[in-house]
Amino acid sequence: MLSTRPPTRRRIVTVALFCVIALIGAIVAGLGVGPTPISTTRIIGALASGVGLGHSTLTPLQSTIVWQLRAPRLVLGLVAGAMLSVAGGAYQGVFRNPLADPYLLGVASGAGLGATFSIVYVGHGLSTPSWTPLIAFAGATVAVLLTWGLGGRGLRSTASTLILAGVAISALLTSLQTYFQQQSSIGSIARVYIWLLGSLATASWSSVWMVLPYVVLCVVVCVAAGGALDVMSVGDEEARSLGLPVRKVRLVVVAASSLGTAAVVSAVGLIGFVGIIVPHILRLLVGTSYRRILPLSVVFGAAFLVLADTIARTVMAPSELPLGVVTAILGAPVFALILTVRRQLTT
Amino acid sequence: MNAVEINELSVRAQSRDLVSNVTLHVEAGTWLTVIGPNGAGKTSLVETVAGLRRIAHGNISISGQPLASLNERERAKLVALVPQRPSVPNGMNVRDYVALGRTAYHGLLRAPSAGDRAIVESVLERLSLHDFRERDVATLSGGERQRMVLARALAQSTMVIVLDEPTTGLDLHHQMELLELLRQEVTDCGLTIIATLHDLTLAGQFADRLVLLDAGRVLLDGPARDVIRREELSRCYQMDLRVIEIDGSDVIVPVRGVGQ
Repeated sequence: MLSTRPPTRRRIVTVALFCVIALIGAIVAGLGVGPTPISTTRIIGALASGVGLGHSTLTPLQSTIVWQLRAPRLVLGLVAGAMLSVAGGAYQGVFRNPLADPYLLGVASGAGLGATFSIVYVGHGLSTPSWTPLIAFAGATVAVLLTWGLGGRGLRSTASTLILAGVAISALLTSLQTYFQQQSSIGSIARVYIWLLGSLATASWSSVWMVLPYVVLCVVVCVAAGGALDVMSVGDEEARSLGLPVRKVRLVVVAASSLGTAAVVSAVGLIGFVGIIVPHILRLLVGTSYRRILPLSVVFGAAFLVLADTIARTVMAPSELPLGVVTAILGAPVFALILTVRRQLTT
Repeated sequence: MNAVEINELSVRAQSRDLVSNVTLHVEAGTWLTVIGPNGAGKTSLVETVAGLRRIAHGNISISGQPLASLNERERAKLVALVPQRPSVPNGMNVRDYVALGRTAYHGLLRAPSAGDRAIVESVLERLSLHDFRERDVATLSGGERQRMVLARALAQSTMVIVLDEPTTGLDLHHQMELLELLRQEVTDCGLTIIATLHDLTLAGQFADRLVLLDAGRVLLDGPARDVIRREELSRCYQMDLRVIEIDGSDVIVPVRGVGQ
């Protein structure tokens, strides 16, 4: 299946089918697995009845568990996984840097600073205020704008100046966040720490509706830019000579990726590795074209995060592992495997 | 009719003149080669014609249209570039690489049309790359790779192609093969070529007109016979050069150890 040759149509179709099957499996697992197990047949029946096909065989209690507890968590996981994966892939394309992830331009540090500010100064360390996501979103957005301003003001910025500006802004905001944490109580530190590790435990339909419009818009923009990112793989100068408005494309793709990531991070916290490993796995399977990587990242990224969340909430039940820890535990060996396979293929 | 008109062009970088007050008119369907020592401003000149450098003074028109008034897409339909060191992304096949030449035609959000694909297939056929079309670009030899980059430029369907040292890294056989291909495009398709070359002998054999550039200024401009002159070349390259005629062609030979 793996080789350095550009992929055949058959291989691409096979991988696409695998992604769809993984997504279906993740949806069934996300709705069925938990302290109250619900059979696959009943889950499929409930999903079918949801779209007007047949009747659900869920009991009233099961129906409440599925639609009020697990479904919002599942949908938020799908949305977050799709967005982080697409944003990671888009950043890797737009910066021609395989290590780029959705947090490259300071989204994570900005959101982290916003959330810390909210927990320490608004909630006084006693609770995580309900508007923490909004403040985190504002922090993430401000961080990206600062990066954009420092990196050469929009259209004049280049890939390398933006990356360096992202490093500088991230370092500054992280140090501010550390200062706020250091000034706060032990309770605050624990809450901030939990938020930073990411979780879907507080998912609700309202958080889904808050994030969904941003993610749909941003995913559509990034996926549509796949062809332009392929052209950018030959470098800025050559891409311009081929007729691509490189700086405008970079502006649009970075803005969409950052906005979508900021929305997701504000709702679920910082979940690492998804934005790096999902595009890399797909690159190994279907080649380097972003026309293929980005649409498949939507499907596979969504499935990956929901499966990781299912592991997070079941492996040490009734307590939950932080989702960021699970994605890191899954991601690090997968990433090492990708590197090994790549090395073997190129030699 | 002139395909390219360069009038009083100056290009600057960090307050240093790279090209100074250059005026050149290139007739459609002809081949102009810019020669000169390193740092003469050859690359800056062709990159400016390709729209990649800012014009400090003067103007350039391609097919009668002022370059400065064109956006990237409009420009890419008029002039194509073969860079000195093209970036060749791993994992892309030859056909997809050549299809990048159609970027300006199918827009950002659309995939290449059937017409675009037909043009790509035709160029692959013309440059004998058809059998390589599914190959990973990273696995091509230097000669095949350079032909592929030329194919991408031809797929842009422009009347003007600028080439910056297209024979860099190629052995003699592949240098001749590539230059013969270009000559054929000029003769058969009426293509206009502006190229830079370090090999003065090949430059004289293939181009209709040579321009000798030094310190950003035009020293000599005309047919090969008028430009390939021992005294001017020796002075410009700061070494002793001999011009020997073999079968009607001028061959330029450096003489070792006689620096000026």
